[in-house]
Amino acid sequence: MSELVLENLSKHFGDVRAIDGINLTVADGEFLTLLGPSGCGKSTTLFAIAGLDTPTGGIIRAGNNVFFDSTKGILVPPEKRNCGLVFQSYALWPHMTVEQNLAFPLKIRKVGGADRARRIAEALDLVEMAPYAKRYPHELSGGQQQRVALARTLVFEPTLLLLDEPLSNLDAKLRIRARNWLKELQQRLKITTIYVTHDQIEALAMSDRIAVMNKGEMVQLATPQEIYTRPAGAFVADFIGSSNFMKGKMARRDADGTAEVALEGGTMISAIWAPDVKPGSDVLVAVRPEHVRLAVARPANDDFNLLPGRITGRSYLGARYQYALDAGGTSIAAETEDAFDRPEVFATFDRAHAVVVLP
Amino acid sequence: MASIPITARARHGDGGLNRALAIQALIGGSALILVAAPLVPILYQSFVSRPLYEDGGILTLDNYVRLFGDSVFYSVISNSILLALATTLIACILGVAFAIFLERTNLPFRKTLRSIVLWPMYVSQLVIAFSWFVMYGPSGYVTLLTQQLFGDAPWNLYTIWGMAAVGGTGMAPLVYLFCASSAQRVDATLEDAGRTMGAGSLRVLWSISIPLMRPAIIYSALLTFIGSLEMLSVPLVFGRPVGIEFFTTYLYSHGLGGIEPDYGILGAAAAILLVIITVLLICQGMLLTKAGRFVTLKGKAQRQKLADLGAARWPVFLLFLLYNVVILAIPLAGIALRSVTTFLTPLMAPFDLLTWENFNLIFSYDAYVRSITNSLIISTVGGAIATVFIALITLVVHRSNFRFRRQLEFIALYPRAIPGIVAGIGLFWAMLIIPGIGWMHGTIWIMVLAFTMRSIPTAFGAISPALMQISEELDKSARSCGADWWTACRTIILPLLKPAIFSAYVLLFLSFLKEYSSAVFLFSPGNEIIGTTMLSFWANGDTGPVAALSVIQIALTVIFVFAARQLLRSHQNV
Repeated sequence: MSELVLENLSKHFGDVRAIDGINLTVADGEFLTLLGPSGCGKSTTLFAIAGLDTPTGGIIRAGNNVFFDSTKGILVPPEKRNCGLVFQSYALWPHMTVEQNLAFPLKIRKVGGADRARRIAEALDLVEMAPYAKRYPHELSGGQQQRVALARTLVFEPTLLLLDEPLSNLDAKLRIRARNWLKELQQRLKITTIYVTHDQIEALAMSDRIAVMNKGEMVQLATPQEIYTRPAGAFVADFIGSSNFMKGKMARRDADGTAEVALEGGTMISAIWAPDVKPGSDVLVAVRPEHVRLAVARPANDDFNLLPGRITGRSYLGARYQYALDAGGTSIAAETEDAFDRPEVFATFDRAHAVVVLP
Repeated sequence: MASIPITARARHGDGGLNRALAIQALIGGSALILVAAPLVPILYQSFVSRPLYEDGGILTLDNYVRLFGDSVFYSVISNSILLALATTLIACILGVAFAIFLERTNLPFRKTLRSIVLWPMYVSQLVIAFSWFVMYGPSGYVTLLTQQLFGDAPWNLYTIWGMAAVGGTGMAPLVYLFCASSAQRVDATLEDAGRTMGAGSLRVLWSISIPLMRPAIIYSALLTFIGSLEMLSVPLVFGRPVGIEFFTTYLYSHGLGGIEPDYGILGAAAAILLVIITVLLICQGMLLTKAGRFVTLKGKAQRQKLADLGAARWPVFLLFLLYNVVILAIPLAGIALRSVTTFLTPLMAPFDLLTWENFNLIFSYDAYVRSITNSLIISTVGGAIATVFIALITLVVHRSNFRFRRQLEFIALYPRAIPGIVAGIGLFWAMLIIPGIGWMHGTIWIMVLAFTMRSIPTAFGAISPALMQISEELDKSARSCGADWWTACRTIILPLLKPAIFSAYVLLFLSFLKEYSSAVFLFSPGNEIIGTTMLSFWANGDTGPVAALSVIQIALTVIFVFAARQLLRSHQNV
């Protein structure tokens, strides 16, 4: 087991930068998620770690083993990296039974006889697939295939576990079960894991840390709570959950990061955290729809940020309503269980839920 | 789990990477040598003043000057082009008509007719030419019968159009194959759109369906054109007796006719044929990039609206039957009958002339029996070797990081530009000048080499689409599990590719069994094959043994095709 280090990892084709200078250290036993929209470079990064994609620059190192170093001309082929990679399609070999699929990496490592059988049995037990050892992949459901794919990578005790959107082919309910099960398994095995997904819920639920990627760059690396509550920019704020953005100018920022922002209409907003920029700079206040409260009467308490607004639209989401408001020229989305029949309302949100980001 | 030792890294040295590279380089290098072996001697000889095995030759353009100074050569060029044009025209009209009637109309028994129109592809061009000769030649059975009944037979196969009829009907199935998939893909809504605007069925067919098939038609037209340029059997059987020379017969008679062949002229003429076909292939390649990469018969199931032939349904069906009877059934029946008679004439009932003499002759001489066993060994063993070799080429081209894999693909497809007779001349010369391979002379292995080289594009084209359908993640996952390139290929891809490899083997077996044109320069006592022995009998005017050998070849083909189908059927569920 070991930590994984990426230094200035890049892949450029001409002017196109698939990945652009990624620096990342994944601690031993950590569960790190690469999160981003499609085309952000997360899968390219994962495949570069596995050795199936060749970067153009930088260093990849696992513990003391250098996998790739562009300056020294080191490129270790995938089969010598001992990385366990689970593909989005699972990539189970259709001409082999579950058991034979698992035996393959062991045969290559010259693990024979009783030892091999024992390890296969253990790995299948681990993913609760022992009764299916003699089945062929096409005889299994998607969820079962996914477990076999995982068992096939765990059976040879890889240094790193690399997962490329392994849950994306499962239906919604199964995905939640598989997510919890996978997280629990990872914690038990304490294996360093890199998980690639575009699903923010998966990322938030499973990760020790999340690296949010956009256009080949890593835009934020932090714990799920921090990513959600202190997004490092408009992209992160909008990609993780969704956010209202209100344009304004920075009025004051204190040393602890709390700040006051003057919106375009003149309303002052207090926020719990802001990046260190000069007063007067253009900024955005980000607040999530589920944190915006609506009230018919003006609240007496002024601990909250308050914006008078007009309801311009309403959609029914089942458990809640989503309202579209116009607050002095700024559009705001709010989610609440209450139904309002008058358009004039007051929107409030706690300063703890307001974050200032750069446009 | 925690107690399991990690052994992978310790066991794998740096050897793995080198092994992959070594295998890839070996395959790429062998393909290059195989394809270059016939080309280099020909190009070299065409610019050298003396036979290439003699010392003291100087580089010169004299061969080309002499070739173009020879007035015969101009008629060779014009005859070849005229024949190719006429053959292409006939093959295309027939092929497109098959495609439309069999794929787009409600013709009865379409499924059966579809397989029947492909039958000529299984029969050697040599056998087709001989069998047409036996029935429709100037003293052929049907010709004499017609003269007897009507006073005159209105055809003469000893003309360009006569030869084009033999060649064109033989190549029509190929045009049909290409146009059929295109006809299946014609979107029915486009035709419906035409119909709503008031166009009738036939009008829609003519103005919408056929133009939509144009890429396939042009592509297969070029293919037939090239095919007829390199056709040897038909010109040899029907052109040579009346002195109409073509590229292939010119090479044939200049290379084999005289006691001392004129090497320079031979080299220059072969080089020019190579250049012409290469240019045509480049044109075709440019069309191919537009028309989609691989043409398959299994178009996706789409809503098909079939044109209603109405009252013409059964007459058209009968026309189809009649056509197949005329171009295939009668000639093959004729050659079969000829093989068991002393001669064939409408003046006497064939049952009075029955004899086993032709077969007895074949089976009583070692050399003749050997030509059959050689053909079988070359087809079974050589076909297997070629299949494995070409399957490995497709792996390197499509599934490796080999630096020259693009170039290797070009090399693999290039033999389409090498006519059989040119390949034969080139390899024959290669054996004369390349040290160390002279031992191959007179063995079946030189035939295996020649046939393998010629068949690379066919098998490559048969295996590639199947290979591309196997997800790359399957071998990538094997790699990340610790398998090197070769292990991943051997244990994952090749087993999954088995059905395609088997189909490629069937194709190669049949084409090795039929092949003759590259063998005419390569055979000598010891490595005769059925085709060369037939040509030898033919040259002596012994039609009976030729017919017997034809029957044997067809019988072997039928047996093999039947066995292969049974095998495929029994393995379908695996």
